[in-house]
Amino acid sequence: MLGLLRLEVRRTLRDTGFVVGGVVMPVVMYLLFTNIGGGADDGWRTASMVGMAAYGAMGSALNTGGAVAEDRTTGWLRQLRITPLSPRRVVAGRALTGAVTVLPAIVAVLAAGGLVNGVRLDLRQWAAIAVLLWLGSIPFTLLGLGNGYRLTAQTTGVVNLVCNLVLAVAGGLWFPPELFPPWLRSVSPYTPTNRFAQLGTSVADGHAPTAGAVLVLVCWLSLFGSYAVVSYRRAARTV
Amino acid sequence: MSFTGAVRAFGPVRAVDGVDLEIARGETVALLGRNGAGKSTAISLLLGLDEPDEGGVRVFGRVPAQAVRAGLVGAMLQDARAVPRVTVGELVAFVAGTYPAPMPVAGALEAAGVTKFAGRRLDRLSGGQAQRVRFAVALVGDPSLIVLDEPTAALDVEARYAFWDAMRAYARRGRTVLFSTHHLEEADANADRIVVVDRGRVVADGSGARLRRAAGGGLVALDLACSDANGQAGQAGQADSAGLAGLPGVVSVEVRGGRARLRTEDPDATVVALAGLGLVRGLEVAPASLDDAFLALTSADGPTRGSARTSLEAV
Repeated sequence: MLGLLRLEVRRTLRDTGFVVGGVVMPVVMYLLFTNIGGGADDGWRTASMVGMAAYGAMGSALNTGGAVAEDRTTGWLRQLRITPLSPRRVVAGRALTGAVTVLPAIVAVLAAGGLVNGVRLDLRQWAAIAVLLWLGSIPFTLLGLGNGYRLTAQTTGVVNLVCNLVLAVAGGLWFPPELFPPWLRSVSPYTPTNRFAQLGTSVADGHAPTAGAVLVLVCWLSLFGSYAVVSYRRAARTV
Repeated sequence: MSFTGAVRAFGPVRAVDGVDLEIARGETVALLGRNGAGKSTAISLLLGLDEPDEGGVRVFGRVPAQAVRAGLVGAMLQDARAVPRVTVGELVAFVAGTYPAPMPVAGALEAAGVTKFAGRRLDRLSGGQAQRVRFAVALVGDPSLIVLDEPTAALDVEARYAFWDAMRAYARRGRTVLFSTHHLEEADANADRIVVVDRGRVVADGSGARLRRAAGGGLVALDLACSDANGQAGQAGQADSAGLAGLPGVVSVEVRGGRARLRTEDPDATVVALAGLGLVRGLEVAPASLDDAFLALTSADGPTRGSARTSLEAV
């Protein structure tokens, strides 16, 4: 299974779409949004850093689903089924790959915040933010897998992109929700992305994530998780 | 490995329709059939990629998926496309790592003739190169049974010879090999045993020579009288061919372009009878080719094409 993880991580890192969309874009957007027009205050530099790291992590997590859809069409999943690897290990290997490949986005944006934008936090805070964003990306990996096991490679790409944009904007990862019209501002706290970013911003503000944030994320986790399981069962009959 | 009364249907199509087949350790067997005859479905069942609706399939006494899990099986699938963003060496090394007792990666690359482009990415190879990589993937686990679905479809002549050399070397080590093909000559040259599949059933099973014999001893061809004349003479030709079907040894008659082709179990008796009737014109006697054998086997009692071959066809 470690062999599969190594192979799949290599394949992901060689995917230009992944590197540009999942790592380069969030960093560039973060630096632009916080430095254009005279620069932002310290609070927004930090909040936007967490938001963009969350955005990058979500993009990378969804990408795992795109990779699954691609593997279904190329016959790679079929090829794996005639190796001695058990299906359980194949799925576990894929999930671990997803977990590893969200890290570059998180690390890159946090590094840009600390090194370029001068965000100052305790070492404990940095570590906690990175770990929370890493764990918080699991629901999005499951959403991507649900799409990837259900849809064709092309459709998965489009659906993932739409999910990514809608969730990023509605959750306030790009712009703070205070700028939203009232109706969107009232919806935003129920989105997984808003609460995902909140995991990080509360740590940056010096306190633990709220129970509300965890509760909303757990709800989304179970929803996306069930979606992934149902899609996988459907696909298993045809792969 | 064995199939016992295996059936796999897709809607109304019975792709595998009651196959009984027993293959012993160390045999090299060709699964021969036209496109859509059920070869690939049978292979899917054998690899545990699909389950039979009825009957059973066993590989080394186990359910196929378990045999695969135990590393006893290596396979080369027909429809597999290149895995994106992986080099040849990485892929083969990865697959080797999943087997309990693989052969050295370099050895598998060498045997499949892909050492030269081990560092190249799979999605940048030609069709023939990619096919050779799939052979390396099937070999590298050093499995007891190797299953190859149309292994030479994309290969040029030279690569084809190299491929069969490597395959025979593998078989000589006591490994069981099953390959599917629709090239008769390939099956004849490389397999101990040919299993002919048609419409999901096994229609013949034996060596190439036995299949030739099964198809009838030979082929006798001759020009029909008045075949170069017009309408009325054509009727005479028809009458002629009707008489031909009753000659000793003749199994079937086919008339095309004024020339009759008789498939016969006993060419000698047929020729003597023809001479007696004074019908010997442009006579030609040939042993049944493997192609003839194959066509005879795959269409003899079929509901769609069978009648065309055994009935008379006056021109």
